[in-house]
Amino acid sequence: MTSAPEHHESRHPTFMQYVTIAIVLFVITIVEFLIILPEDWQGQAWTLAPLIILSCIKFAIVIMFYMHLKFDNQLFSWIFLAGLALGLAVVIAVLGLFFALNGAPRAYAVANAIPYVHVEKGEEHEESVQAELPVVTTPADTTQPSTGAGTTQTGSTDSPAPAGAVSASVGQEVFLGVGTCGTCHMITGIAPGGVGPDLNKIGSEAASRKPGLSAAAYIEESIRSPEVFVAEGISNALPGLMTQVLIDSLGLTDDQIASLVEFLLEQQ
Amino acid sequence: MAHAVEPGHHGEAEYTTTGLNHRKLLMWVFLGSDCLFFGTLIATYMVYRGQSLNGPYPIDIIDVPITTISTFVLLCSSFSMVQALAATTANDQRGIKLWLLATAFLGAIFIGFQVYEFNAFKNEGLTLGTNLFGASFFTLTGFHGAHVTLGIIWLLSLYVIACKGRLGPATALDVEIAGLYWHFVDIVWIVIFTLLYLIAGFDRGPEPEAALLVPSALGALL
Repeated sequence: MTSAPEHHESRHPTFMQYVTIAIVLFVITIVEFLIILPEDWQGQAWTLAPLIILSCIKFAIVIMFYMHLKFDNQLFSWIFLAGLALGLAVVIAVLGLFFALNGAPRAYAVANAIPYVHVEKGEEHEESVQAELPVVTTPADTTQPSTGAGTTQTGSTDSPAPAGAVSASVGQEVFLGVGTCGTCHMITGIAPGGVGPDLNKIGSEAASRKPGLSAAAYIEESIRSPEVFVAEGISNALPGLMTQVLIDSLGLTDDQIASLVEFLLEQQ
Repeated sequence: MAHAVEPGHHGEAEYTTTGLNHRKLLMWVFLGSDCLFFGTLIATYMVYRGQSLNGPYPIDIIDVPITTISTFVLLCSSFSMVQALAATTANDQRGIKLWLLATAFLGAIFIGFQVYEFNAFKNEGLTLGTNLFGASFFTLTGFHGAHVTLGIIWLLSLYVIACKGRLGPATALDVEIAGLYWHFVDIVWIVIFTLLYLIAGFDRGPEPEAALLVPSALGALL
């Protein structure tokens, strides 16, 4: 530990050794390129192992010979390898957080997303539908977790006045408000959508989507259990985005769903 | 323990507790911490991999053959960098200038490839704000490009010093430390090239089968 290396210049590789190292690095890169050259092999899971192993070999060769870690004082190696190990640990921890615990990050985000409703200071909740959102709408309300919220200092009540009635107009409010359907689904003139399937003609198409189900029953099933049946040939259908978890998190009432069905049946 | 003495800058004695040169140790500590920096950026890329909801996707625009060439260029520059150090310790004045300039030149070619690539991506509609792929790709490769650019500036200033005849065996450490930085930039690229181009360069959009492949492929990565 205390013996300072006085010999380190003499142990550096010679010119020819450097040339050999460069050639080895070149050959490894060519092999990596050849592995992904056939189109059938591109992006295949089995290519992961050889590609990662080969690049680790390149990495090791460069730090050992070009950066002289093999010939230098070991403290340099330990300091660098400690940083490298920490970096790797960060990578594994972040990937582990997203993939091992919660599946794909998008599914996790969708399942845990809290709809954002902008409320001006002092403004009353005009649409009391929004008061049912499981969302904290005022900064002062941080003590209350997502348990139906509503009793905030703005004095809004969470009595769902129009939720008692079933009508297409209530359905439209739910579509754009508490249901957050319009965030993804497009209905011309009502919701821009663009992410999920277009619902412009759902009223006329619903009856023929699934054998044995009427238009109203089909729409209701698609809302209540979105993963049970996914229509074929629909553009923008993204599996994993419209999930049971998502629909359950909204906490829609039976009346709200009935209103949504009424509203969607009108989209001819 | 013992206060070993190593010849420091311009040959003055330098007192250390490790027997190792302070500047060189500092560079290694910095490179170790830079591993964390790039580790977080790479982790972010891998987490967002395959999560973009709109194109362009990697398969649409990533050009692996061109990037393989620029990878070769960067590998060559590492070779010329060790030659610059060898020339410095051998006091080969002509060699020092030649190899330093060659290294900076090869680095500049690599940056040229990157400028071309970024520009081509922009023309295909991929910018930092287009989708998750664009955001994480440009952030990671952009920071690497910034490292290379800094290295080129460093090498060119060493070249200026070499032209004044001030580089030689007594100041070889100046070249060695710059070389450590340069090789580090090279190994970071080895990792980026493998992960972003060879492995993730063929990712498609969120088609059902691809969307299911991505988490399992990443699971295999762990």
